[in-house]
Amino acid sequence: MEDIKNNNGQNLGIAALITAIVTFVLSVIPCVGLIAMIPGIIAIVLASVGLSQAARTNSPKGLMIAGLIIAIIASMISVSQVFIAGKIARNADKWPNEIQNIVRDVQEEIKKDLKDANVSIKIESNGEKIEINTGTKNTDKEQKLEELEGVNTSKDDTLQKKK
Amino acid sequence: MILYRRKSNTQKRSDVRFRNEPYHIINIIFAGVIVIIFVYSGFFSPEKNNYPVVCIHEKLTGEPCLSCGLSHSFSLILRGRLSEAYKWNQYGMRIFLFFVAQLIFRLDFLRLSINSPANRKQLIIYDSIASGIVFIIAFWPFITGIIQGF
Repeated sequence: MEDIKNNNGQNLGIAALITAIVTFVLSVIPCVGLIAMIPGIIAIVLASVGLSQAARTNSPKGLMIAGLIIAIIASMISVSQVFIAGKIARNADKWPNEIQNIVRDVQEEIKKDLKDANVSIKIESNGEKIEINTGTKNTDKEQKLEELEGVNTSKDDTLQKKK
Repeated sequence: MILYRRKSNTQKRSDVRFRNEPYHIINIIFAGVIVIIFVYSGFFSPEKNNYPVVCIHEKLTGEPCLSCGLSHSFSLILRGRLSEAYKWNQYGMRIFLFFVAQLIFRLDFLRLSINSPANRKQLIIYDSIASGIVFIIAFWPFITGIIQGF
């Protein structure tokens, strides 16, 4: 005697499995992870209805069970995205301070590097070239300025009282 | 005439078997979904920035997430601007390759399943394992992101 298999609920099983797999892929992507809850619930409902139909007519349940398990896991991952988003939002307050600290560290490092550095300025105009070499210390800069002016400004720049 | 009728009946039976096989239907639908993803990426342009899908994560937290810029990245990959695609999302290429691999898998496994129905169960097992491995490799940064989130 031939064993007749009933295929009731198979279409629902296929729909549930496809929805569940799509939900699973979506749930892992942070941008749309939260939205994946909707197809996840749809997949669970489809699989459950398919399972109940299959149980009544004694038809194969493999597809429905696979769809249900994947949909439940995907929905759990999707729900977990809410907690992850919450955690990121809490940590977001700390980030500006951390960024400020990083910027300050970088500034200090640049200042430290420039402390003993030499500055070289080249100016070209109508075939004339001027090259100024000096250190970054204030004393070096003052000395260079005096050299460029060609006079000792520290002696002559005070005002004389009229008699 | 009899020969023609016999051939026609066999054809009809194989058509019915093809349509009643869930594995075939699932493969066809997934191939269709992947093609729709590629059409979506090709249709919306990164210059116009008219993508309908917005990042829920960014809306809630105010911070960009790991998958932000994925649509831009896909569109740019389809247009051959790979370096720009990498700038939009560094994981864009591996996710794109996942979909390409899945499209090839769906069509290839469908062909194999039609040609050798006796090995269908084995094929489904191989398909599940291969797809699972490719999925884990492609989505690993996002999976670790979820794990680190806890």
